Amino acid sequence: MKRTFGNKYAFTLCGLLILALLMAACSSANGGESEANAGNGDEQSGATQDKLKISYWTMDRHDMDYMQQKVDEYNATNTDNIEVEMKVMADNYNQAVDVAFASNQAPDVLKVNDFQTYVNKGYLASLDELLDAEFLAQFDGLLAENVYKLNGKVYTLPNTGQYWRLLYNVDLMEQAGFSEPPKTLDEMVDAAKKITEIGKSEGIYGFASNFKNGSGFTRPAYASGSLDSETSHEGYNYQTGEFDFGMYRDVVEALRRIKTDGSMIPGAESLDIDPLRAQFAQGKIGMYINHSSEPAVYTSQFPTDIRWASALVPTSDGVIDGASWVNAGGYLGISANSANKEAAAKFIKYVYSQELRNDYQEKGLGLSVLPFVNESAGKPELAGIDGFLPTQYDGIYPATPISITETKLEGKKAADVFIQYILTGSPDLDAAIGDLNDQYAKALAAARAEGLTNIEADPSFNAGNLQGSLAAK
Amino acid sequence: MHKNRLGAYLFSFPSFFLTAALGIYPIVWALRYMFYDYQGYGEPRLIGFGNFARLARDAEFWQSVANTFVYAGGKLVITLPLSLILAVILNRKLKGRHLFRAVVFLPTIFSASVMSIVFYLIFNSYNGILNQYLLELQLVSVPVDWLGASKAMLTIVIIAVWGAVGNYMLLFIAGLQSIPEEVYEAASLDGVNPAQRLWYITIPMLGPVLQMIVMLAITTSLKGYESIMVLTEGGPFGKTEVMYLYLYKLFFPLTTTGTSVQNIGYGSAVGFTTAVIVGLVTWLYFWMSRKLNNLY
Repeated sequence: MKRTFGNKYAFTLCGLLILALLMAACSSANGGESEANAGNGDEQSGATQDKLKISYWTMDRHDMDYMQQKVDEYNATNTDNIEVEMKVMADNYNQAVDVAFASNQAPDVLKVNDFQTYVNKGYLASLDELLDAEFLAQFDGLLAENVYKLNGKVYTLPNTGQYWRLLYNVDLMEQAGFSEPPKTLDEMVDAAKKITEIGKSEGIYGFASNFKNGSGFTRPAYASGSLDSETSHEGYNYQTGEFDFGMYRDVVEALRRIKTDGSMIPGAESLDIDPLRAQFAQGKIGMYINHSSEPAVYTSQFPTDIRWASALVPTSDGVIDGASWVNAGGYLGISANSANKEAAAKFIKYVYSQELRNDYQEKGLGLSVLPFVNESAGKPELAGIDGFLPTQYDGIYPATPISITETKLEGKKAADVFIQYILTGSPDLDAAIGDLNDQYAKALAAARAEGLTNIEADPSFNAGNLQGSLAAK
Repeated sequence: MHKNRLGAYLFSFPSFFLTAALGIYPIVWALRYMFYDYQGYGEPRLIGFGNFARLARDAEFWQSVANTFVYAGGKLVITLPLSLILAVILNRKLKGRHLFRAVVFLPTIFSASVMSIVFYLIFNSYNGILNQYLLELQLVSVPVDWLGASKAMLTIVIIAVWGAVGNYMLLFIAGLQSIPEEVYEAASLDGVNPAQRLWYITIPMLGPVLQMIVMLAITTSLKGYESIMVLTEGGPFGKTEVMYLYLYKLFFPLTTTGTSVQNIGYGSAVGFTTAVIVGLVTWLYFWMSRKLNNLY
């Protein structure tokens, strides 16, 4: 009797469990799958009954309130009966996108966080057929291959960018006897040393970078290197189509001297960017190099009373041969699997409307790389933004093959090798650069042989020609 | 009889289903791709043992294996004796022993990632609590970079010990409670001291339990990477890169620019190799410790 009861109980329990598993497996949970005419009289109001629903995913949290407000306005005012559902995804955005596409739940419109991977995986629809020529003409001269276009087809469009600058504590600079920020790397080393001399007893140091990960190297090196070089960015020489990390020799040596002088803040080896910012806000750091997110950081995340400013990053000789790298990846794309591509394209046109983009810029939510915005929008309402505003020296570089090359790399990545040298003085820098060039050349050759990249040498490339592309000379 | 069998099948179905979907399928998936060159898009390219040849030349991977053994060795050498001593002490009929057991066990129930963030607040060089105390007591004149190249491994081992000691203490207590009290009583009559009790009675009689606990500790230590990812991301310049973190980065590259390309083919080969390494070490341990099974 007891056993019979047990079996019945087991059947019921297992039956329910299986049912639950099957239901969970079959449900779509609306991760983004479009629902055209999904109205249901019992669950939805009459007003939304016939709406064409599209989903929009983004990873941007800094502007989520503003964008949600604009999406709500669009939903209330558009005459195409489109309703956009915006979702701000947490960390691991690329993985969330992968899972969404793998499970056929991809959003109709998505923030393009990793252009080459998304296009190569077939996630994105070409925008050439979805957006009219007049609209696309606004982006003439900006649509770099492998950044927004692949094989001549446009998959995403530029919007805002990160403009890289040297941030410095004005008071510390003045106390150290400098009336203006350094223009050469030698001057930067000297300023860091003098600031440390006057401030060390109070825990003040001349320079910092966050060497916890590779960006401790890439932040200063990419910014200075791109301004310094006519030919190269991210260690890749566009003219020869090969890697040559010799472009970072001067900046690496400068950072090494800062370290050996004792001007680098203690703990830089394990420093993350937020603790670095916190110390800068407390007036403990003389200089560091970062991008145009910083004014918002010192307004809301780490409010500060210190007098700080920003300037173009120093170069080896103070001469600007290239252009300051602007990190301006793609913004929005349309899912290749979307059943509502036309509605998605209409929403994208709304997001790129002059009024919205100008308002966005003026509110200090991001600095545009679009000339039609930079020419007409007012100055952003954000303390400290002045030094980051687009100059003639800023430019968007074509993509380099560094990411795909590093999947074939046998040995340490360039950033790790350079950080080791900066912090320890070994290995020998010239030998390390030679070894990196050899290893990256082999890896790039393998990637090209397998057709994993279409980026080839462009003998006509000159980074100096990028000057004036985002702001008039 | 028939109904009984049906019930057994129904009961085992959910766990079989989940094991197959979340355990066996990913392994089979990875086993296939370790012979391919595949970045997550395009057509996978069959390259035979190419990934393994690359792995043999990959100094970074072998450095991560060496780091793993340093990390796991350090963790085991401190954790196991400490947990055993705590277990022996807290197995006695002391006042408040349940409270102490709970306190020591508490770290086990916290998320490793969350606790690593807390430890970052303790150990970071600029405003970490530890440095504040050391400076206040004038034991150091400048903040110590606990997560810098020279001390990062030591720091993460200390954190790993903190997280593991309660768990193994509990397992040791379970083992201790299976030792008959009469054995200790007889030993007392023979006049053994506490050290002799531990060495000649407790440890030998823990035999099979000890073997299992050490095996668990070895495999867990060799696979650990979560707290390292939060605290150092394997840095500075690879000093704390352990093999499972190295593997994780191949499948989910950590990037500061947004652009990241997975290395699924090579990652699968590395995953297989790391599993073999853990398996070999475990087998070697079982072989070396086979006598522990005969003592009890």
